Amino acid sequence: MDQVAHPANLDALSATELDVLERQIAGKYMGKVPWSAVVWGIGNCLVFVALFPLVLLDVIPLWAAFPIATLNAILAYLPSHEAQHNIIAGRGKPLRWLNELVGHLSGIVLVHPYRVMRATHMEHHQHTNDSEKDCDIDIKGKSTADFFLQSLLNRQPGSKRNGAYGRCLERTGQSHLQLDAILMNMAYLAIMFGFAWSGYAIEMALLWWLPKMLGETYLTYYLAWAPHFPGHEQGRYRDTRAFKSRFGNVVSMGMQFHIIHHLYPRIPLSLTPAAYRELRPILEHRGCDLGGM
Amino acid sequence: MKLLIGILFSPMAFALGFLWPLSCQAAIALQLAESGWPALIAGAAVAIPLGLVAQLRGSWVWIR
Repeated sequence: MDQVAHPANLDALSATELDVLERQIAGKYMGKVPWSAVVWGIGNCLVFVALFPLVLLDVIPLWAAFPIATLNAILAYLPSHEAQHNIIAGRGKPLRWLNELVGHLSGIVLVHPYRVMRATHMEHHQHTNDSEKDCDIDIKGKSTADFFLQSLLNRQPGSKRNGAYGRCLERTGQSHLQLDAILMNMAYLAIMFGFAWSGYAIEMALLWWLPKMLGETYLTYYLAWAPHFPGHEQGRYRDTRAFKSRFGNVVSMGMQFHIIHHLYPRIPLSLTPAAYRELRPILEHRGCDLGGM
Repeated sequence: MKLLIGILFSPMAFALGFLWPLSCQAAIALQLAESGWPALIAGAAVAIPLGLVAQLRGSWVWIR
């Protein structure tokens, strides 16, 4: 198959044959349970939760816990993302409970209600870069510096970004899921306010509030902004790009190959680099933006 | 119900519920105010104007 996918041979294939070849290659990487994501999601959440008693009981100092909590926030989204795409186990499968457990648990650090994230993320996939229907279209910026400015503005109480997921749920007839978001955010605020007025405000700021903000900024940069930049084009092979991160694949959380995820969302994150390498000639043939990767 | 949720998630509620004790405890930690009423007043002096700006202008950092 590797030989068939050679650029010189692709010209001889019809559009249908090219589609079949592409799907055959992608199919090899699907249907595998990503156990690393399961351990990652549950373990990350447990470490984060453990930081609170460890700091409050003076077992570890706050200055040491803050970077760990920030790392927890950065690492919190991707296992939930695997679950949103039913990669761990689809509906009706024996491990379905585990898929849902990972989805719910890993989102706690970022106060991400799992069902809301899944519903809105599916809309992002279906309408990527659509100025009306892509609920992540507000994450934009003409450059890295502009992204950080927009990110700051998007966090303000009067920002249009605040209601993006709510509007998306309403548009798709899933408004009932907003209750998940309200309950989760109420619990978050109750914990924050309760601990803050009990004398632990600095601890809560450095264990949850600031790590959550830093984590969200990091995640939106690598997961939402960089792979869709400049965000002007729509279409299966044009709405997402590959890009070369100067900090490498681990720091960019595998998002250099995010184009593979948008083409085949059921491929686990850990297998997207291998799938990319095998699909690269076809993607190049189709005129995808591969960013020198 | 909608009004109650709006109040709970408002910038002013965040300022009163979190930023006030945070500013208060930061003032004590930085030895800018003594604990008790001085720290409470110092915390309020930071948090309440910030909350009002965020509530009325729709931005914590003035720019929108």
